[in-house]
Amino acid sequence: MPTARAVEPVPELLELWATSRAYLPGKGPVPGLRDAAFAAFREVGFPTTRAEAWKYTNVVPWVNRPLRLPPRDVPGTDRITAWFAGGVKARRLIFVNGHLLPELAHVGGLPGGVTVRGLGRLLQEEPDRVADALAELDEPRGLTALNTAFASAGAWIELQDGAALDEPLQLLFLTTATADSVLCNLRNVVRLGRAARLHLIETHVALGDAKPLSNVVSQVRLGEGAELRQDRVEIGAAPAALIERSRTVIAAGGRLCRTVATLGYGLSRHEQGVRIVGAGAEALLNGVFTPTGKEHVDTQIRVEHAAPSCHSNQFYKGVVDGRSHAVFAGKILVERAAQKTDAYQSNNNLLLSDEAEIDSKPELEIYADDVKCSHGATIGELDPAALFYLRSRGLPAALARSLLIFGWAEEVLERMADEATRLQARRAFLARLPGGAVLGEP
Amino acid sequence: MTALLEIRDLAVSVDGKTILDEFELVVGAGEVHAVMGPNGSGKSTLAYVLAGREGYQVTRGTIRFLGRDLLTLEPEERAAAGLFLAMQYPVEIPGVANMYFLRQAMNAIRKARGEPDISAADFMKRLRAQAELVGVPPELLKRDLNAGFSGGEKKRNEILQLLMLEPRLAVLDETDSGLDIDALRTVAEGVNRLRSPERAMLVITHYQRLLDYIVPDRVHVLVDGRIRRSGGKELALELEAEGYAAFQPKPAEPATAAA
Amino acid sequence: MATALDTVREYTGHEYKYGWVTDIESEVAPKGLDEATIRMISAKKDEPAWLTDWRLEAYRRWLTMEEPRWQKVTYPPIDYQAISYYAAPKQKERPKSLDEIDPEIRKTYDKLGIPIREQEVLAGVAVDYVFDSVSVATTFKNKLKELGVVFCSISEAVQEHPELVRRYLGSVVPQGDNFFAALNSAVFTDGSFVYVPKGVRCPMELSTYFRINAAETGQFERTLIIADSGSYVSYLEGCTAPQRDENQLHAAVVELIALDDAEIKYSTVQNWYPGDAEGRGGIYNFVTKRGACRGRNSKISWTQVETGSAITWKYPSCILQGDNSVGEFYSVAVTNNHQQADTGTKMIHIGKNTRSRIVAKGISAGRSDSTYRGLVRVLKSAEGARNHTQCDSMLIGDRCGAHTVPYIEVRNPTAKCEHEATTSKISDDQLFYCRSRGISEEDAVALVVNGFCREVMDELPMEFAVEARKLLAISLEGSVG
Repeated sequence: MPTARAVEPVPELLELWATSRAYLPGKGPVPGLRDAAFAAFREVGFPTTRAEAWKYTNVVPWVNRPLRLPPRDVPGTDRITAWFAGGVKARRLIFVNGHLLPELAHVGGLPGGVTVRGLGRLLQEEPDRVADALAELDEPRGLTALNTAFASAGAWIELQDGAALDEPLQLLFLTTATADSVLCNLRNVVRLGRAARLHLIETHVALGDAKPLSNVVSQVRLGEGAELRQDRVEIGAAPAALIERSRTVIAAGGRLCRTVATLGYGLSRHEQGVRIVGAGAEALLNGVFTPTGKEHVDTQIRVEHAAPSCHSNQFYKGVVDGRSHAVFAGKILVERAAQKTDAYQSNNNLLLSDEAEIDSKPELEIYADDVKCSHGATIGELDPAALFYLRSRGLPAALARSLLIFGWAEEVLERMADEATRLQARRAFLARLPGGAVLGEP
Repeated sequence: MTALLEIRDLAVSVDGKTILDEFELVVGAGEVHAVMGPNGSGKSTLAYVLAGREGYQVTRGTIRFLGRDLLTLEPEERAAAGLFLAMQYPVEIPGVANMYFLRQAMNAIRKARGEPDISAADFMKRLRAQAELVGVPPELLKRDLNAGFSGGEKKRNEILQLLMLEPRLAVLDETDSGLDIDALRTVAEGVNRLRSPERAMLVITHYQRLLDYIVPDRVHVLVDGRIRRSGGKELALELEAEGYAAFQPKPAEPATAAA
Repeated sequence: MATALDTVREYTGHEYKYGWVTDIESEVAPKGLDEATIRMISAKKDEPAWLTDWRLEAYRRWLTMEEPRWQKVTYPPIDYQAISYYAAPKQKERPKSLDEIDPEIRKTYDKLGIPIREQEVLAGVAVDYVFDSVSVATTFKNKLKELGVVFCSISEAVQEHPELVRRYLGSVVPQGDNFFAALNSAVFTDGSFVYVPKGVRCPMELSTYFRINAAETGQFERTLIIADSGSYVSYLEGCTAPQRDENQLHAAVVELIALDDAEIKYSTVQNWYPGDAEGRGGIYNFVTKRGACRGRNSKISWTQVETGSAITWKYPSCILQGDNSVGEFYSVAVTNNHQQADTGTKMIHIGKNTRSRIVAKGISAGRSDSTYRGLVRVLKSAEGARNHTQCDSMLIGDRCGAHTVPYIEVRNPTAKCEHEATTSKISDDQLFYCRSRGISEEDAVALVVNGFCREVMDELPMEFAVEARKLLAISLEGSVG
């Protein structure tokens, strides 16, 4: 029975399920898993603002509407190559409108112990393994259940113990102008064995005036001493919606460094759960969100410390302009076992417009006494003293202002490991920034 | 002369590892002793064992202070008995004003000795005079205890406490570290002012330079947990010239020692 | 030698000093709540019809509401029909002078250290004494009257100043504001009323002392303070209750109104019975406190030292409506054994250049949980609003929890909000340092904790700061020092 907190899906979605169910990839246990997931989705429904995690984001109009599964559409190669990142040697998987384009994939000749595959094929070839992995995320959440029911594309990345990929691996997710009302359910699985190393680049791009919905679920597991660097950029046109939920589990001595730049999408919701289960591990989560126009950005972070002597840091900045609405909710949970935890969180925001809105909720939940945990959040306008200083050095007011805003965001962008991604993010940011063009290429 | 402090056959271990062994030291009233040694020789362990810090297991031996068995006393009882340790790393206590703390400490010690509390006026009078002496500015007295103090300020503040509490035995643990020459001189002047026939000092240091200003009666060389040699003040100069190498115990297997 | 944690454990098991019961004949209403109960309470107080209707309206709203569940506390369901909503010492009529007060009641307050007298210890403080459901005495009334300051029980105010009560009652906390406020609006029995006229600076501290005595009753007091233009008042409440194995409900509502250039300073030293070491008994302290800075340049400052109650659920708040108005919240919440506290504040910035400051210190020991929950909301109209929030938690031992849940919502770009939070513990180094200077372990813990809370303690009126410090040490004795 649907709970009071949920919204019943529109009939078109039920119909979509009924008509497409038989054609979704996956043998063996997969169809059963999909059926169960859809049943769970029906039970839980879409979240409403009455749920604490969705308090500031009304997702219903974005998700509960007639949607269709993605048609195949290959844009011209020039439109794709513009979004390449990671340098000339980078490995790459390209997804357009929710489909993997195998002919454009560049994952051949990988070093030993490194597997990079599309989920669609794997669902057919190794359904048991994939089903086991998908079942790992079984909490009753509407959008995750919907993803499990429909998931037919995504990246399956596996590094055995000690394996490493020296070049970055880019996952490029693109939606095109023809993708109106398209529902892309992408599912990524990343598993790093003991001491494995990977530099992952995620590029999300929405082109044109279409109004697609990308519903992404990612599951990441870092083995002992494994290291994952992850740069992620989201550059999308205003009608498009990108909702991602990721869950990362880090074993002892593992290290995660993730930097996210949100530079578009009408709705961008990024929910990250990071659970540290082994001693001496580290999680660094950086991010910048820059909504403008009528965009809505919602970042939800939950870092769980379940093991002693670990370090985590959330470093998030916001530049909130136009009539946009930004939400940041970050939580640090320190369980009893996690003594000697060192956990920090900061969320600093620039609110640039009368019509914009920012809601920040930095949260601590601490059950161990020998820990160092702190958080800070600020919301304000540009520092008048800094503005004056620049102007006294001869910069026109508008330029000084742009420069300061740029510097504000740059503090996060410079934490990206991949230069090309950093440049893409910078360019996209400058294009959105009033007077940004004046600054030119920094 | 009666011994103020008498340490006999002391062995101390930390986490099962022996730090001090067969340690002997007798300090008489009115004397200033210096214990010198390289890093890791057990200097700070000596200081902490005397003050009664947790985590230092006395596995053998005795310490008598003014005829009492020091090892049975809690840290605050040792303070009340007249022992003071000027710490190498004084602790920060936010929200507790420096002078408020000092008054609490003074009165706690007085109470333990059956003396009445010091009056606010007397306390302030003494505090002002002594603070000026060791160069602790008035605003530092009002600030939270050690919070945000520079290294030099912390050390001066320790000496201020020493002057205010007037212990029978002052143990100075690396009081010279992190001090410039002017500060060193001020601190030494403060300590010297306290020298008297009833009092004794135990100056623990790596370098000889503090001993230029606080001239010791006896110098002991502590290496690898034991006193290797004792002598007059000239021993400090000898150490300065030749270093501690001559006092290193002979390694059993040179190959592993080199690694 | 003991570590900080051992010290804490060692001192566990201190006794609640105020846990005795006064043997006095009381009139206690039968258990249960319906419209008849409310009419009975209203009739007892000889209330005008509008107030009876107001109560009934609240009751009807309450019936449709759900008990809040979002707070981070757990307790078994409360049976609202198993509570008696009215308990009062039997007396023919309210004594005309302080001399006529029942000797048993007088003894009660003597024993609590706040004798019903206009002299000596409390020379600078006027006190309203509330015993179970009724106010039994108010001191210095006449002296205050000379200045036009009204300080009396709210029941008396309903009779003597109906126009003020009618105008302001429920104007800050409406009947249907929340579940417990609605319940209070339906059944409130007594509490204090203060009116400070234009331009008057109230020359003494006003104080109410709440005492729950009867068993199986709830206390539902209602306090209303109005500071007219240019006036100032400092008000303090204290509270204790007997030690019982059953939980007792205390659901109060406090409304403050500050007009132009007025200032209200409201301090609470909350020491309701916290329950025993196993978590048996104790008060459920579910309280709605809100102040409205209606006028320009007005100021409302809340200071609370929360050491008691089995469960605390309260968020003293400020609605900063007048331009340049200021809201402050200073809080120390100490939880020990099985206590749970979910407390904080809301600062709603509406007027231009409104400022708010929040300093919250939480200390958790034993198996307790302490949560700071706060909201800073800057509306579009609040040009130039400023907020600074500092939340610090201290954990003592590894069986307790400390949580910080702030919400910051900003809709004006000229606003500036800053929030900081830290978590720490008493370190063994700090204790050793104090002890090596001659301070006992117990005192050292108290010293460090007092230092941790100093910013808040400094906000308390002088007369109560000493008491609060002692109380803090005692509460921590059960677990700290």
